[in-house]
Amino acid sequence: MALLELNDIHKNYLNGNVKVNALKGVSLSIEDGSFVSIMGPSGSGKSTLLNILGCLDTPSRGSYRINDQNVEKLNDAALSDLRNKFIGFVFQQFHLISGLNALENVELPLIYQGVTGKARKEKAQAALEAVGLGDRLYHRQSQLSGGEQQRVAIARAFVKNPKLILADEPTGALDSKASENIMSIFKNLNEEKKITIIQVTHEKSIAECGKIIYHLLDGEINYIEEVQAH
Amino acid sequence: MFKQSLIKAFLVRFCFTAKMAANGILSNVLRSALTVLGVAIGVASVVGLMGIGEGARLNVMEQFESLGTNVIAIKAHDENYEFQPDKAGELVQRVESLEMATPVVSTDTTMRWRRTTGEVYVLGVNHQFPEIRDHELIAGDFFTQLHVEQRSAVAVLGYSLAINLAGGRSPVGQIISLNGQSYRILGVLEEKGAGNANDIDNKVVIPYTTAQRIEEKRTVEEIWAKTASSKDAELATVQLGRIFQREIGSAPNVPLPSDGNETVEVEGPDMVMVEKPVPEPDKADIPTISRDPITVTNLNQLVDEIDQANRIMTLLLGGIATVALLVGGLGIMNIMLVAVSERTSEIGVRRALGARQTDLMTQFLLEALYVSLIGVICGIVLGIWGLNIFENYGFQTAVSFDAIKIAVVVALGSGLLFGVYPAISASSVPPVEALRRQ
Repeated sequence: MALLELNDIHKNYLNGNVKVNALKGVSLSIEDGSFVSIMGPSGSGKSTLLNILGCLDTPSRGSYRINDQNVEKLNDAALSDLRNKFIGFVFQQFHLISGLNALENVELPLIYQGVTGKARKEKAQAALEAVGLGDRLYHRQSQLSGGEQQRVAIARAFVKNPKLILADEPTGALDSKASENIMSIFKNLNEEKKITIIQVTHEKSIAECGKIIYHLLDGEINYIEEVQAH
Repeated sequence: MFKQSLIKAFLVRFCFTAKMAANGILSNVLRSALTVLGVAIGVASVVGLMGIGEGARLNVMEQFESLGTNVIAIKAHDENYEFQPDKAGELVQRVESLEMATPVVSTDTTMRWRRTTGEVYVLGVNHQFPEIRDHELIAGDFFTQLHVEQRSAVAVLGYSLAINLAGGRSPVGQIISLNGQSYRILGVLEEKGAGNANDIDNKVVIPYTTAQRIEEKRTVEEIWAKTASSKDAELATVQLGRIFQREIGSAPNVPLPSDGNETVEVEGPDMVMVEKPVPEPDKADIPTISRDPITVTNLNQLVDEIDQANRIMTLLLGGIATVALLVGGLGIMNIMLVAVSERTSEIGVRRALGARQTDLMTQFLLEALYVSLIGVICGIVLGIWGLNIFENYGFQTAVSFDAIKIAVVVALGSGLLFGVYPAISASSVPPVEALRRQ
């Protein structure tokens, strides 16, 4: 059964006074356990698509089912819980919370799940160790390099054992060495933990870490490419 | 079990939200401190101004109470209505709750003491005066009933007057000249304080019979009566009021249809109780006088009225200060709106990680509440400290719990009220929108 199912998704928004049709009828279904890349030139609607997949944005038209639930019918609390339990996010700008240290940042999603004290700390620590940051637990954002910040963000995304990780240009702000590191972590999460990963990127080499690439153009799926290299 | 874990989950969430709110305040200490200062100044001005108002009220109250709240003053404002001196004793007979009464003659006259001459206020009363007005003597004795009956030329001096004249030595036994006649000084009254108790400290007290001679009249313009308690005084005031209302109806220069009734009334000692058989004088027959010719005043009423006025004054001060407090609240709103727009991207991340709208709303409301709470505490301390300083300059002040209550309610209320809009705007930012902004 498909984990995600998009059916004829449209998204319009106003940019100033100009109406932008960001998505013009996207239909796709993504199986549990896959590693998907979305590519396309800027303005092709790939970030909009990712936001809709992550329930951060709502489609103007069309239906979206995730884990057998119709997203349109969920209220704010249910959507928040869905994001909390099923989806981990990784952003291009890392988006760590500046007042908190690495460990506290990773604990955040667990707090919203109501996990208490010691168990929460242990889980968060384990996640940070898994991304190779066992010695950086109490560092703050300003004391970490870009690659390290992104690894903290990834630890924060998978600490709660989500079904799905959504990554928006995860290596966009990193050098090639750090990018490689991030991609190997993603592959690992996908293969070992069976977490579905969907990433948006415009770098071919990064996209090819996935097993399947959706190419977007002008708000529509242009073509689908299977990656053979694996 | 399930329910318990739900509560636990809620607590974890709430504690974290509370912590994030505290982080918010600490993230810009200077800005938060200024906002707190705004609230604190508002609270301090409410506590301070109301404390000063309350102090002034208590001060006035004390002055009035020094006059005696169980004293009733019956005063004729018109020569035609002045009393025979016997009236004092008669009223004590007729009104049960009156314990004693004295006729009062006030006048001013020239005084000579050795080589000093000057004007002095003279109070003519009977021998019961010290008891009626709670006066003690610090030297000598008060005059007796015999002195009063014999129209003796004797005098008792008020405290300040005695000090001014005799300069610390006892003037008892010395001679003072009033209106050209020599009086022997019998005693000196205890100090009551400047302005208190009809300014008795600066007066000469003599028998009313003697004072009548200075005034060259047979009547007295005032009667002071005393009851056992201030409650009795209120009752007696009503009874006296009724008696004089009837008597005014039959005053010598006012024609009245039923003269017979009047005399019966005055004569009968138990008349007060027998009210029904006596026909009330027809309203139309009572001459309309712009001011009552006789007023019966109990200080209680006066004190109540003045107290009421002072309370309103205090509240007014509090009201003005509350405006300052509201301005403090606006400061909170301003700072919260800045905080929300500064942290939009953080809000977006938290939303993506699973924070609900209610979490964010709680966080920003708590943040506003923290600021106003710290402001309230600082403000109360500041206000009380200010009152202490004020007190050191010799003013009477009082920390009013009403003021503290008002300040706390208004400050926390305005903190919440002005926190609501920023909190709602924080929680209603769409997550994508929040993430897009850096």
